[in-house]
Order: sequence, then C-alpha cells, then structure tokens
Amino acid sequence: MSPPRRPWAEAPAGTDHADLAALLARVAIGDRAAFDAMYDRVAAPVFGTVRGVVRDPGLSEEVTQEVFVEVWRAASRFDASKGSPMAWVTTIAHRRAVDRVRSEQRSAARDRRAASPMIAYDEVAETVEDNLDRDRVRRCLGTLTDLQREAVTLAYYGGYTYREVAGLLRVPAGTVSTRMRDGLIRLRDCLGAGR
Amino acid sequence: MRVRRPEPHTLAGAYALDALDGPDQARFERHAARCQECTREVTGLREATARLAAAAAAQPPPALKEALRAETARTRQLPPVTRDSRATDRARLRAGGRRPGGRRPGGRRLVLALGGAAAVAAVTVWVTASPGPPGGQPAASQEIATVLTAPDAVTMTAQVRTGGTATIVMSHHDGMLVFTAAGLRQLPAAQHYELWVIGPGRDRPAGRLPMLSHGMAGPVVAAGLRSGDRLGLTVETASGTRRPTTPMILELTL
Repeated sequence: MSPPRRPWAEAPAGTDHADLAALLARVAIGDRAAFDAMYDRVAAPVFGTVRGVVRDPGLSEEVTQEVFVEVWRAASRFDASKGSPMAWVTTIAHRRAVDRVRSEQRSAARDRRAASPMIAYDEVAETVEDNLDRDRVRRCLGTLTDLQREAVTLAYYGGYTYREVAGLLRVPAGTVSTRMRDGLIRLRDCLGAGR
Repeated sequence: MRVRRPEPHTLAGAYALDALDGPDQARFERHAARCQECTREVTGLREATARLAAAAAAQPPPALKEALRAETARTRQLPPVTRDSRATDRARLRAGGRRPGGRRPGGRRLVLALGGAAAVAAVTVWVTASPGPPGGQPAASQEIATVLTAPDAVTMTAQVRTGGTATIVMSHHDGMLVFTAAGLRQLPAAQHYELWVIGPGRDRPAGRLPMLSHGMAGPVVAAGLRSGDRLGLTVETASGTRRPTTPMILELTL
C-alpha cells in the first residue's frame, strides 16, 4: 500500500503539518489536552482571519468560538489526503466569518463596514511578532498584478464576494473571477503551498 | 456572455476565497461535483488561502480558551464518516466542513446517537428511506442530522387534536427542532398542514408539512427558536399565509 498522497507535503519546514494532523486525530477521540495544544497552534490565524472579515471585536470572538466548537465536533472528518490541517481549520474559520457578515448584509452593520472597505495586506497581522508567514505572503502578494492582488485580498481579508469586488474595483465580474484564480495560483506557486 | 456568467471553472479561485454566494456558489459546486480537476485545484488554492490566514494572525483574548474548555466539555463530537464517500467529498468541498455532518450515510447511526429513543422512529424512517426532502432544500437533511446528534437533543410527543401523533426532537442549544407526525388525518387536496412558531410579538410560519405515505408527515426543520416560543399546527388552505387562519390542532410550549 502506498502512503496517502498529501498535497501539502512540500510545505516548508517549520509548519509542522504532521504534528497538527496528529493533534487533530487526538482531538477526534475527545482528547481535551490535544485540543488545547491544537488551539495554541491555530488560534492566532483563525482569530486574525475572522477579525479581518467581521471587524467587530465581540462578534469576532463569538465567531472564533463557533469555529473551534466546530473543529472539536468535526475533527474526525479531517482527511489528510484532502489538504493540510491548517487549511482545513482556516477554511472553516473564513467560511464562518463570511457567512456571518453576509447574513447581516442587509443590516446597518454592512454599511458601517463599508466605511473602511480596504484592509491593506500590509496592515494585517500587526499583533503577532516574528510572523514569517506575513513577510513571505507580503512578498508573494507583491508578485501579483495590482488587480490580482486587490481581488484576492478584498475577497479574503475583506470577505467580499467576487461580484462585490467587481463593484468596488469597477471591473467586470468575469474579469475579477479569472484574476482571483490567476492570482491565487501565482500565490500558491510563490509560497510553495499546495501542489 | 462570458463576462456576465463566467465559465464555472474560472470560479475556482473565487470559490477557494469564499467569494461566491447563492447561485454562483451552487453553480460552481454542481460543476465541481463532476470535475475532479476543479476539486483538486480548490484543494491546492486553499493551501494558499491558509497562508493568507497565517499572515493575518492575531492573538485572541485568553478568556476565549477558557470559554472553549467549557463549551467542548458539553459538546458531543461527530463520528467519522465511514461510507458514502461521495457525499462526504461534497460536504468537505463545500466548506471544509462548514456544517459538520453532511448528509449522513443513513438513519441508523442517528438513532444510536440518541441512545435508541423509540420516539424518533418517524424521523428515522424518513431519514433512512427518503433521498431528500420532497421538493425541499438540500440543507434540510444536514440540519436534521445536526438536531438529532445535538448533545442536548430532547424528544417530545404530542397528540394532534384531529388525529395523529407529532414527534418533535429539539436542541435548545441550537434553537432548532425537527417536527414529524404520524397517523395524521388525510386532507383534501386543497388543504395542507402548516407548522407555526408562536413567540412573544411574532408568529411565523415554520413550513408546510410534507405528506408521506401511511399518514406520515414531515420532517420540517424550524430554526431560530427562543425559549418561551410555542409550536403550533393548523390546517391551511391558501399558500403563503403569514398568520394562522384556523384554530390550532396542536400547541406545544418548547
């Protein structure tokens, strides 16, 4: 039997995907200490991502808590052959955050957010020191075209749909969707993430 | 045309960024269900978005960890999925497990999770026997699984005044319930059973009860319930009525 293919096996050393996957496996059988250890490893990316999208500090904490309850509940569903544990967790987090924002889209909350729509990628993550990912991501984002970079960061850090991004940038939606894809592919290759 | 409706495949980036909504998302997911390359691409692109997340890292307040300790202590975990990997793939592609559970392989495990409560037989029959809610939303079976596997799920039964028995499984924590009924009186074609949530200052329709065979009806999922809400059942004629127009044939405080 060949070992399961792990698309994230090429990730740079230090990201310790295997450790995190092992922790998740322990979490899946109800190991609370493993959950604590896993939390310590991923809480900052989760909270930072959620806060970027949701903005409101109290609501960000609430969504972050929901994310981790979901990770606890669904840990047995993590499948290492389908991506890295960090991608699994951050996907849950980002999805939760945008779901929350979009469900309130019709309310005034969205209008308040719209007052400061741009979260520049060089503004993020000021609270974590020695964030190697930040430097690397910033450098790789710099290799994207302006439109690719704006499309990717508005969608991810701002939580906007591609149609909303099209409206913000005054570019056709079809153009935005292709730039998002091209930009993410370039980012993935620059970061050595994924396949 | 391409500008207004991009090729599904070009939406892979937007999908990985959670930048699709409503119909766009549904369209991409339909496409991806038949396109292995798309699924692989989304998987790879999500590794890139994970790095975007890592770059945005910010420490949450320490109190959050304490709160989570309490929360996980009273939250039951989902069992692994062992069969029906197709449905699992779909659920995972959707959101990396946004709504854990996906469609369950069958009803049997749901009952075991409840400790074999006989009263959920009606729900079980439906979950096991039917491929999906009649004309219903695909989310319904996931919601049902969520309620049935909730750690605080309780089962209530009540008699319907015009005949039949209603079974309600409710999670107070999630503010959701699943309603089913058995032995209901057959209605003329122009009429239907309608479920209501009756709360302080707000009555809202919770859905038309789908009629199955043998007097079985449901399930209907009601969400957003608050303590003090009551559940009601009426027979209605008009579709889309906003208030009950006939007397309650079942009324239950949740």
